[in-house]
Amino acid sequence: MSTINFANREINFKIVYYGPGLSGKTTNLKWIYSKIPEGRKGEMVSLATEDERTLFFDFLPLDLGEVKGFKTRFHLYTVPGQVFYNASRKLILRGVDGIVFVADSAPNRLRANAESMRNMRENLAEYGLKVEDLPVVLQVNKRDLPEALPVEMVQAVVDPEGRFPVFEAVATEGKGVFETLKEVSRLVLARVGTT
Amino acid sequence: MVEPSLVLYGALYQRAMDVLQEALQETGARYALFIDRKGFVLAHKEALWAPKPPPLDSLATLVAGNAAATQALAKLLGEARFQEVVHQGERMGLYVDEAGEAALLVLVFDENAPLGKVKLHGKRAAEALARIAEEALANPPKLNLDTQYREEAKALLDELLGN
Repeated sequence: MSTINFANREINFKIVYYGPGLSGKTTNLKWIYSKIPEGRKGEMVSLATEDERTLFFDFLPLDLGEVKGFKTRFHLYTVPGQVFYNASRKLILRGVDGIVFVADSAPNRLRANAESMRNMRENLAEYGLKVEDLPVVLQVNKRDLPEALPVEMVQAVVDPEGRFPVFEAVATEGKGVFETLKEVSRLVLARVGTT
Repeated sequence: MVEPSLVLYGALYQRAMDVLQEALQETGARYALFIDRKGFVLAHKEALWAPKPPPLDSLATLVAGNAAATQALAKLLGEARFQEVVHQGERMGLYVDEAGEAALLVLVFDENAPLGKVKLHGKRAAEALARIAEEALANPPKLNLDTQYREEAKALLDELLGN
């Protein structure tokens, strides 16, 4: 589903960060933006409310470089996590090539994690997609919380079959951020030319 | 159904560039873009006299998001679609029209380009691009990327994001 521009020799991939409100999706993108050197990233676009909650999406283009004559680029998006922004979430999933599901480690967000995953499955189904058909990486964020739940407990509610690669993260400090992005990018690239 | 990739190649790409060039000439717009609904730029042209364009990736992403929201609004109001969107500021304006199911035409124009002309020729260009998009979707070229591509891309990932 990547977009290929033969004339400009470009291959573009769309990666979406999904998850419940305040789980740290935007924080992931902000960290990436702050650490990627100039020339390898485009402008970061954030459509946020006054209190910096994501309203529509955040967007960050990254240039991987040239591979076999093709400029390879990843476009990173976040969705708004709050439950009432589902129409926006659905729109952002259009044409997605890979997903990072950002789960919250806080005990009182366990249910929100599960509901967000269910919502993602429903929204993907509207595009004829199943979670199982896409590269998905699970990032269990906020591991620095004193009352953080065990990773296995978070995984049990969002991915009970243990299908997705799991990364622990503290996105505010950048821990696990690049590792997560790298894994989802690797999985997306692994499908090039095979589908 | 899974959304197919829109790939422009060879003669089709040239035809799209010709349509964009003609749209620029007829409307007096600064920049013309042919983008897919996912927000990726398929082809773009700039008027010779125009200053450096804004970041096209961001422009295309926001336009695609806006178009998707506009379509959702139309459906809420019982319409199949709202076909064109025009934004006009004091100096700059933006015209967006559907180029079929999968793509959009974007014209960025300034106060010297009459809106009537932009709309008239924009509509014609969008129709021509819709036919091109349809042909591109009907005959997708085979992407000949192999294991070597994947390996080299992974090496670049290590370089960019660390081992």
